Amino acid sequence: MKKLIIIPAYNEEDNLKKLINNIKKYAPSFDYIIVNDCSTDNTAEVCRVNNYNYISLPINLGIGGCVQTGYKYAYQNGYDYAVQVDGDGQHNPEYLKSLMDKILEENIDFVIGSRFIEKSGFQSTLSRRIGITFLSKLIEFTTGTEVKDVTSGFRLGNREIIKCFAKSYPRDYPEPESIVTLKRKGFNIVEVPVEMLERQSGTSSIKSMKTVYYMVKVSLAILIDWIKTT
Amino acid sequence: MSLKLQIILIISSLLSIFLLVDMIRKESLGLKYSLSWLTSAMMILILALFPDLIDYTSLLLGIVNPMNALFFIGNLFLLVIILTLTIAVSRSSVRVKELTQEVALLRYQYENERAK
Repeated sequence: MKKLIIIPAYNEEDNLKKLINNIKKYAPSFDYIIVNDCSTDNTAEVCRVNNYNYISLPINLGIGGCVQTGYKYAYQNGYDYAVQVDGDGQHNPEYLKSLMDKILEENIDFVIGSRFIEKSGFQSTLSRRIGITFLSKLIEFTTGTEVKDVTSGFRLGNREIIKCFAKSYPRDYPEPESIVTLKRKGFNIVEVPVEMLERQSGTSSIKSMKTVYYMVKVSLAILIDWIKTT
Repeated sequence: MSLKLQIILIISSLLSIFLLVDMIRKESLGLKYSLSWLTSAMMILILALFPDLIDYTSLLLGIVNPMNALFFIGNLFLLVIILTLTIAVSRSSVRVKELTQEVALLRYQYENERAK
């Protein structure tokens, strides 16, 4: 059984080393691939010097295109399972086991590591939680499935999911939208409680100024996906 | 429409058509995207040559001032052109993304082979 960790990394020179060490320590049965999204810092250099397994994108694609490269890699190399772990260190590789257990024992297609089930660990800011709750309700309305942590980037999928994402994946702010797409295609999705850490350094892909834009765009994407037929 | 405006429109639309054809000839403007531009320029030329058409159109559309009808039609053409461009940009950006990913994956393979 081949399992891959996809690590999207944009300017994560300070966080990668710790993350890779944690992966080797807590999830040794997983392979990993770092997808360097044309970082402007020394991310590529850090990967090269430490001999990490990494792909460097020649131009910056944003989080969606970056993660999708990882799924394409997983698909081409015949992986059975692929999990996204953010390059900023907010996802703890120790939880990979519980995600994996869940997907195996209950024959689930897609498992999302959720901050809001046991409400422990870093819970994000109040304004973000309100936004996430709104998107969660919107997704529940359009798909009939309750997913609490719709923006979680800590997600594990089986071969079918890998194939689906390798073929098409939303461009920017992909997480909530891709949940709706997967539900539309009939995949089953389950959340597993995890604790997340506050990002250790660098900046998030969603900056405060862009929050309104983010909400409008993602809500629209969810509604559009709802009326898609294929 | 005054004779002065008519002459200005005829000259400028002829000039635009000439420039458009020249750009298509030099392949700096793709034939595919030039159609909407050419059609717009032709329309202006026709309307300038036969101003009665504008009066007729404005009557048909229920627009009191014929010049407003001209602006309205002009705007419609612009919207079509912009939409065509937005579609083209969307498609190009998807293609660029796919190519970028392909290049990155191939380079990864290549460097791994070479390292062996």
